[in-house]
Amino acid sequence: MEQNDFTAPNDIVTVFNHMEQMGESARLLAGGTDLMVSVNLRRKSVEKLIYLGNCGLDRIEQTDGNLVIGAAATLTSIVKSEFVNQKAPVLVDACKSIGSPAIRNMATLGGNICNASPAADGALALLALDAGVTIVSAAGERNVPINTFFTGPGQTVLKPNEMVKEFTIPLGTQNSRCGWSKIGQRKAEMISIAAVAVSLQIQQGQCHKVRIALGAVAPTPLLAVKAAGVLEGQPLNEESIEAAAKTAAEETSPIDDPRASAWYRKRVVKAMVAQVLGKIQKEETDGRA
Amino acid sequence: MAVLNLNVNGTHHQVVVEATTTLLEVLRDKLLITSPKMGCNTGDCGTCSVLLNGELIRSCITPAMVADGKTVTTVEGIAPPGELDPLQEAFHEHHGAQCGFCTPGMIMAAKALLTENPEPTEQEIREGLSGNLCRCTGYKKIVESVQAAAAKKN
Repeated sequence: MEQNDFTAPNDIVTVFNHMEQMGESARLLAGGTDLMVSVNLRRKSVEKLIYLGNCGLDRIEQTDGNLVIGAAATLTSIVKSEFVNQKAPVLVDACKSIGSPAIRNMATLGGNICNASPAADGALALLALDAGVTIVSAAGERNVPINTFFTGPGQTVLKPNEMVKEFTIPLGTQNSRCGWSKIGQRKAEMISIAAVAVSLQIQQGQCHKVRIALGAVAPTPLLAVKAAGVLEGQPLNEESIEAAAKTAAEETSPIDDPRASAWYRKRVVKAMVAQVLGKIQKEETDGRA
Repeated sequence: MAVLNLNVNGTHHQVVVEATTTLLEVLRDKLLITSPKMGCNTGDCGTCSVLLNGELIRSCITPAMVADGKTVTTVEGIAPPGELDPLQEAFHEHHGAQCGFCTPGMIMAAKALLTENPEPTEQEIREGLSGNLCRCTGYKKIVESVQAAAAKKN
C-alpha cells in the first residue's frame, strides 16, 4: 500500500515506526504555528508530516509532587487549566502572552520549546520553574534539565530520531513566588523584544532558589545564574533588586534586529527584572501588612 | 498525497491533498467556500479564521489533514441559508464592516468568543479579537457590533 504523506499516529510507538518508514524528509507536526509559516513562506521544503495531536501527549497532570505537561498540550489548555493557574501561574502568564486566541488554540508548549526561538516565552517560564524535559526515542527515554536543552537559535540537544514527550515541573511550596514581564510592540501577536520570568522562595525574609529567565536577549532563552546568585540568601529590597537587575543585564548578549536594538534590549531587560522583583517585593509587603 | 474527509458547514467532503496543503487552500480552492480570506498567510492577520470542532483556528497555517474527520465552520455556516446570525445582523446595523476583508475572521473570532463567554466585557472582546487585524475601522465599530450581538442574544 502506498504510504500516506501525512500520518496521525495514535501512540508514540507508531510515531517512531512512521519516522522510520517515512524517512528523514518527514517532519513532526504539533500545532504547526511555526512550521507552517516556514512552509508558506517557502523557507522550508516539507513533503511529509507526522501529526502529534492524536498520540496522547496533551496531558496536564499532577504526578508525585510534580506538574507534568505533555509536549502537545495546547497553550490554551495550559492557560485554562485551574491546576496550572494555581501551581505555576508564571507559565500561564507566559503562555497567555504568546500569539492570539486562535494561535494559542493550536500552538503547543512542546512546539514553543522545540522551535528553540531565543524569544520563546514558554521557555522562560519553564526555565524559571526548573522544569525537566523528557525526551523520547524508539530506544527509550532520557531526561534533561530545561537549562541544558537549548544550544543555539533554533538549536536543541534533540537528535533526529528523538522528540520531546513532556515537561516535569516541581511543584512550588507556599513560600514560592513568581513573576512575569514581556515587552513587544503591541500586546497580542508579538514576538518578545524582551521578556522576564522569575521564580523564588522567600523564607524568613530571605530569597532562596532564585531563578531568573530572560528572553530575546541571548542566542537561547537565558537563565541568569549570576543575577540569581546575587539575590540568594538576601532580602528583597531596593539595593538587592537593583544589584540583581544590573547583573542580569550584564549576563545578556542581545542583538540588533527589526524588533529592537541590542542597546535597548540591554537597558529594558534590566528595568524589567527590577520591575518583576519589585512587584514580588510589594506583594510580600502587602501580604504581611 | 493523503485523503481528507471533513465536514464543512454540515456537508461532508472528501478531497485529495498534499501533506502541507492548508485548510484555507482546501476551503477556497477546492470547495469554493470563499469567506475565509488569504491575507498574510502566516497566521498573523486573522482573516482566514474558522472554527475547527468549535475552536477558533487559523486555516492558513493549519495543514488540511489536521481537520481530517473533524467539523469546520465558516461564516457561510453560522446561520441557515437566507438568515443572519445575530453577529452578522449586529455588524450590519453597527457598521462593523468597512472594506470587509477582515470581517469574516472578525465574525468567526467573535462567534468563538460569544459561545464561550456570552456576556464579555469590552476588554474581553478586545482580547478575543486581538488576533484579527482591521486596517480600516480602528476597531471601535467592530467592538460595538460584538457588544450589540451579545446584547441581542441575552
